[in-house]
Amino acid sequence: MTPKEKERLIRRIWIVITYVVLLTFALVYLMPFIRSLVASFMTWAQASRYPPEWIPNPFTLENYQKLFRLELFPRWIRNTALYAGLIVAGNVMFTSMAGYAFARLKFPGRDVIFSALLSLLMIPMFVTLVPNYIIIYKLGLIDNIFGLALLGITNVSSIFLMRQYFMSLSNEIFEAARLDGCGPIKAFFYIALPLAKPALGAVAVYQFLGSWNAFIGPLIFLRSPENFTLPVGLSFAFQRAMWTEYTPIIAGSLVASAPTIILFLVLNKYLIRGIVVTGGKG
Amino acid sequence: MARVLLKNVTKKFGNVIAVNKLNLEIKDGEFMVLLGPSGCGKSTTLRMIAGLETPTEGEIWIGEQLVNEIDPTKRNTAMVFQSYALYPHMTVFGNIEFPLKMARVPKQERIKKVKEVAEFLGISELLNRKPSELSGGQQQRVALARALVREPEVFLLDEPLSNLDAKIRTQMRFELKKLLSYELKITTIYVTHDQVEAMTMADRIAVMNRGVLQQVGTPDEIFYKPSNTFVATFVGSPPMNLIEGEILKKDNKVIFDAGEFSLELPEDVGIEGKAVLGFRPQHVQIAKEEKAGFVRGKILGIEKLGVESYGHVTYGNLEIVIQLPEEVGSNITEVYWKPKEDRIYIFDSKTKKLVYG
Repeated sequence: MTPKEKERLIRRIWIVITYVVLLTFALVYLMPFIRSLVASFMTWAQASRYPPEWIPNPFTLENYQKLFRLELFPRWIRNTALYAGLIVAGNVMFTSMAGYAFARLKFPGRDVIFSALLSLLMIPMFVTLVPNYIIIYKLGLIDNIFGLALLGITNVSSIFLMRQYFMSLSNEIFEAARLDGCGPIKAFFYIALPLAKPALGAVAVYQFLGSWNAFIGPLIFLRSPENFTLPVGLSFAFQRAMWTEYTPIIAGSLVASAPTIILFLVLNKYLIRGIVVTGGKG
Repeated sequence: MARVLLKNVTKKFGNVIAVNKLNLEIKDGEFMVLLGPSGCGKSTTLRMIAGLETPTEGEIWIGEQLVNEIDPTKRNTAMVFQSYALYPHMTVFGNIEFPLKMARVPKQERIKKVKEVAEFLGISELLNRKPSELSGGQQQRVALARALVREPEVFLLDEPLSNLDAKIRTQMRFELKKLLSYELKITTIYVTHDQVEAMTMADRIAVMNRGVLQQVGTPDEIFYKPSNTFVATFVGSPPMNLIEGEILKKDNKVIFDAGEFSLELPEDVGIEGKAVLGFRPQHVQIAKEEKAGFVRGKILGIEKLGVESYGHVTYGNLEIVIQLPEEVGSNITEVYWKPKEDRIYIFDSKTKKLVYG
């Protein structure tokens, strides 16, 4: 074997190893999704059997039918969309302003305030759950999608992402704008915002995914079934006194996750850019 | 158009003094170049005139107005940045139109002015393109157009040519000068570290070093009458030779003793004691054979730059650069030289200021 052939062989072996490792991990991560997909066509009796079975027998659409028989199902979808829409709109609007202020404006205490904000990332949501509940309660917004959305309308990691993005833009562009007659507010609308489209895209996608799938928040702040979002509604609809009927919930989750999956496929370049911008998880 | 006046302007960044008590007047319509090495405070000075930095002390006047407290958006200065700082999301038209839009000029007039200035700078066919689709030279023109379109009183340029390649740079150098000085007659302050740009473009040059103004003068004054050793070596290529030594009077002759060799100086040099002798490589007489008053030198190497060639001659630690006559071959190893008498400079050994020349 010549050295060249040897080199080629080694490279080929490496590629095979790489693919085996990647495929293994991909399979591990995909497994729950595949399981859900399969189980959504099974009866509850078969899906709960041990050891698990992988081929629906009998094949049934009963779970999906149960889902669409639910009177409130369309309403929950609408609620979830409204909630996600409010969260996305709020985040795009407020975190871009906040990020711009932290990155581009000079004001006393800027860095201290920013550090304080960042430290909020370390506080688990459960710590602030009760105070938040009290605030929303006093505002009379319990059991109200708007009240729930108020809590998520801005977000520290989005502010961080926007700030990093604005800081990465050339300083000279903003100085040029200043000499061209732009005060800080005009510079925000004419220069910063149009240039921030990739970061805004990332914020929007992250926030949509997060709010569409949110469970704990809606579970605690919403009370009447007609105000539920999809994740809460599904678990409410199929929870019996002694047991939970999981297969319709699984079917429902699949239906519910369709928009997020589509969104991911269409917009994943923004997600990746978001990761690049912050240098880590968004 | 307006004059710009800097009175005792100081800028400190923490403990660092970027600009120290600068006094400078740029006359109406003048092309002033701020020249100096990086970190000398020239860009900071420009940014203070633009209003992007606030002076720690001192006054800045534009025209008849003290502008210290006036926001950069209202100073009516225009600036071309080193990176051009074009707005990447706007077309060329949008870029040039932008300052007019901010000044709320009516749409029809904006379109007319943008077209005029684009025509003037020869970029009419680029108006629909984005900055990323332009070459460096084209981007530069767009940046100029954006600055010119609102007819500023003062035009500020921060190393505008340093991102261009050598050939376009030489061409743009002349075009800029022609445009700003001869056609528009606009007050221009131009920052550069390139002495060739300064010499070729400026009406007057202000040489700065470590935040302190060293000398202000026409290119000729800066070149032929440098006020100290810094200006003498910073302007001119290769830099002026500086030799430390002692001036002695012997038998009615003035002798400069450099240790390794000595030179006879003109009789009217009225200084004695330690001094620094300076002369430009171009201002040297050369002989191939030994000659009275000439110094023998061993040639370490020769730099050939086409017509000119420069020989490096060494004496211990001291290295002197002299221009060699065109006919001198590259295999020459020894030369006899002497600075031209009327082109000698003598600097004080302590203050480094010019005392003769």
